[in-house]
Amino acid sequence: MTPLDKRSLILLVAGFTLWSLAFVLLYVLQALGCAYDWSHHRLILIAAYLASLLPLAWLALQRSRDRGATTSLSTAALWANRAAFAAGVLVFAPVTFGSMCL
Amino acid sequence: MSQTPTPLRLHKELDRIWRTPPGIHRLSSVNHTVLGKRFMVVALCFFAIGGLLSMLIRAQLATPNSAFIGPELYNQIFTMHGTVMMFLFAIPMFEGFVIYMLPKMLGARDMAFPRLTAYGFWCYLFGGLILIGAMLAGVAPNGGWFMYTPLSSKPYTPGINADVWLLGITFVEISAVTAAIEIFVSILKMRAPGMSLTRMPLMGWYMLVTSGMMIIGFPPLILGSILLELERAFELPFFDPTRGGDPLLWQHLFWLFGHPEVYIIFLPAAGALSTIIPVFAQRPILGYRAIIAAIVAMGFLSFGLWVHHMFTVGIPHLALAFFSAASALVAIPTAVQIFAWLGTLASGRPRWDIPMLYVFGFFFVFVIGGLTGVMLAMVPFNTQAHDTYFVVAHLHYVLVGGFVFPMLAGIYHWMPHISGRQSLYRLSIPAFWLIFIGFNLTFFLMHLTGLMGMPRRISTYPSNWGWDWLNLLSSVGGFILTMGFALVLADMVLQFRFGRFFRRDPWSAQTLEWATATPPPSYNFAAIPRIDRRADQLEPAKIGPVLAGGSGYLGFARNGDQETMGVEMTTGAPEHVIILPRRTFLPLWTALATASFFLALLFGLYGLTPFGALLTLVLFLLWPTTLGQKKDFGPVSIGMGETAVLDVECTSNVSILANRAALVMNGTLFSSLLFGGLFLLVVAPNWQGIAPLDLPIWLAVVAVLAASLSALCCWMARRANTAGNSAGVPLALAGLGQLVALGLLVGLMVWVPQPTEHARQAVIFVVLGYAALHCGLAALMAFHALLRLHQGYLSARRQTECILAWLWNGYAAGATCLALGLSLLLAMMGQIP
Repeated sequence: MTPLDKRSLILLVAGFTLWSLAFVLLYVLQALGCAYDWSHHRLILIAAYLASLLPLAWLALQRSRDRGATTSLSTAALWANRAAFAAGVLVFAPVTFGSMCL
Repeated sequence: MSQTPTPLRLHKELDRIWRTPPGIHRLSSVNHTVLGKRFMVVALCFFAIGGLLSMLIRAQLATPNSAFIGPELYNQIFTMHGTVMMFLFAIPMFEGFVIYMLPKMLGARDMAFPRLTAYGFWCYLFGGLILIGAMLAGVAPNGGWFMYTPLSSKPYTPGINADVWLLGITFVEISAVTAAIEIFVSILKMRAPGMSLTRMPLMGWYMLVTSGMMIIGFPPLILGSILLELERAFELPFFDPTRGGDPLLWQHLFWLFGHPEVYIIFLPAAGALSTIIPVFAQRPILGYRAIIAAIVAMGFLSFGLWVHHMFTVGIPHLALAFFSAASALVAIPTAVQIFAWLGTLASGRPRWDIPMLYVFGFFFVFVIGGLTGVMLAMVPFNTQAHDTYFVVAHLHYVLVGGFVFPMLAGIYHWMPHISGRQSLYRLSIPAFWLIFIGFNLTFFLMHLTGLMGMPRRISTYPSNWGWDWLNLLSSVGGFILTMGFALVLADMVLQFRFGRFFRRDPWSAQTLEWATATPPPSYNFAAIPRIDRRADQLEPAKIGPVLAGGSGYLGFARNGDQETMGVEMTTGAPEHVIILPRRTFLPLWTALATASFFLALLFGLYGLTPFGALLTLVLFLLWPTTLGQKKDFGPVSIGMGETAVLDVECTSNVSILANRAALVMNGTLFSSLLFGGLFLLVVAPNWQGIAPLDLPIWLAVVAVLAASLSALCCWMARRANTAGNSAGVPLALAGLGQLVALGLLVGLMVWVPQPTEHARQAVIFVVLGYAALHCGLAALMAFHALLRLHQGYLSARRQTECILAWLWNGYAAGATCLALGLSLLLAMMGQIP
């Protein structure tokens, strides 16, 4: 496996893998906060939301380092990671306004 | 090796190696072409049974106050209709299609694990027969296809109806999980040399993502079924709220599988569409890279939607908002594919033929289903429409539009490949219109009955609620639809019997499966091609005769071995030669032994279950005895002036990748179990006031140490083996260490006080059982590697067994740590009285 291919293959699934982890993290924090009546529940969720967006944003900006070596896989990976970032922004946004435990 | 044989002689030599003999030996077949066809034929038989059941449903609902079927029988019929269509038709149908087609599209001679394919087929057949047998005996499942607790719990379903579902479906799902691993590995490792991932036809990408989804998606269902069966059989209260369980846990586990399942069914169909549409548009697919990104996005997003089936159970608004947004969002990657297909047609020179009629049907029906899906993703609308016929209409538009119409397009596109004949009869056109009109008449009207408040699953209704004419028309539509399917069946029979013979590639398609002879020979390709461009832009009519002449990789018959190429995962560079196992009755015997285990459980003969399990294990242990080699051969010729090592001398062979995938699947099941324990701890009622448990921590610590040291020994064994030293001692120590861990974990299970009293003890009991089972499996892997070492199958170049022992021992150590961690956490919960 060439380094470019390996990197592209990992990048192809990296964004949405992070998105999935962030989804689980936020869902768990929401459930724990409600179960144990956390005092700064929303603040914690917003912090987790922003923290999870950082690596997604970084991935969304990862173009192929060597422009001449751009492959179909690296382009698909870039688009998938941008989609993962957009999905993160949209799906997790309700932590900023949604009713927490009702 | 033969010296430059003539094409005919090469064909005879290869066919002698690969073919399935007639008579009783057919049952020993492990050939993917044979098994793929068997999967599809059996799936179509189950489709007919499911269709018959739907006719009974529509006959019952055609008129108000109908006495055609009583409520109890009606419950069984609609439950079996959903169960048969989802588990016995849709999944096995695409499995069969992929098993038949994928190696041919990718340029391989078979799937990675032919005996596993055969074992999966027998499990599917026997499991399906258990379900149908139960229906004929009047004890079919009757709690709906998703078996919600507490309705399916023992107090409310005391007979074996629910057990039939839980055990029968788990048995059938063996075929799905084995297929998932096999498809995943075959796509990554068994393509024709030169076919990098970016040259792979889109069908390969669709199936790669689908198999990944199956690896992650099926374990929660299997775990849920095991837990519910444990509750029903042994009263371990995972779902009983009076004893610390929670019925919602079942819903979470079921829909963690159930929603991705919709996409697991749709994606292979979408792969078929992405293959068929460019053929008839007469241009390459538009947006190849965008479609890959969309498939990956769909694969992941589909796991973030499961709660949209549970919007009305009382989940907080914030969580509902996550799932609502994700449910709406998944429409975007779906739309990317739809527009890519439309764009391909718009920018090409479309020619209309029968497959395109069904492609049109797909666009019409699936887009409506997608739009009502977006409606149902909105919580306020979902709350109103929940459990009404609107949902029934939506799911049929999605599943029939997203699977059945593409399947019919695929049948008409690829049936000439299977039969070697083309259709001469025009039954297919009236058949299409009957299906299209009948389907829309049946199900579009259900949107209306649903919006008028008609709930799902009711066996009858009064005549003054305005539903009468709509239901009658739906029933008429259902019978028209059936007539259409009957015509398709007649058309298929006529084509096989009287169709016109043709030479290769009747549609001028550009994918590799059309480079085989039709019907295909048992070995697919006399030589495996080198791919130098994207593999959906080939010229099969030109390539085929060249390959048949033996020009290409492995264009010879060597040592009577079933050889095919193994490649590097992304680049497709030739890496090793895979020697596949020959036909054998072992998969059949193993499946029969597995069936005895499930039947003993079903009939409550628990004393017999260890014998079934042990027999299955012993038979599985016989599988590797014919594999491997006792000396190093080094690189061997693969034709084209190139050489490669044999698979056992390659450390990235299919067996190792398959075991890694199996451990990921296993890890998903374990994660679901950990999630279940933590879910009950945080959410379930009746956890207040329970006393802490005095778990003997020293036993737990020693168990963790034993499992961890065993993993360390396996790691050392692998290093010693790689360095050319003997790995015997560390392997023996690893096996013994895991046996110690197994004993200690069983001791802890015995210690758990009254597991039936509360979900807390039940979870600890099962989690410890999981760890004990995996320590036992790890010991088995270590001792197996030791045995193979003594038999001479291991060397510094032949490391497979050592690597597998290390993988399984490492996993067992990790699982033991996590299992004991959760057990300690749960044991500490509660107030000291």
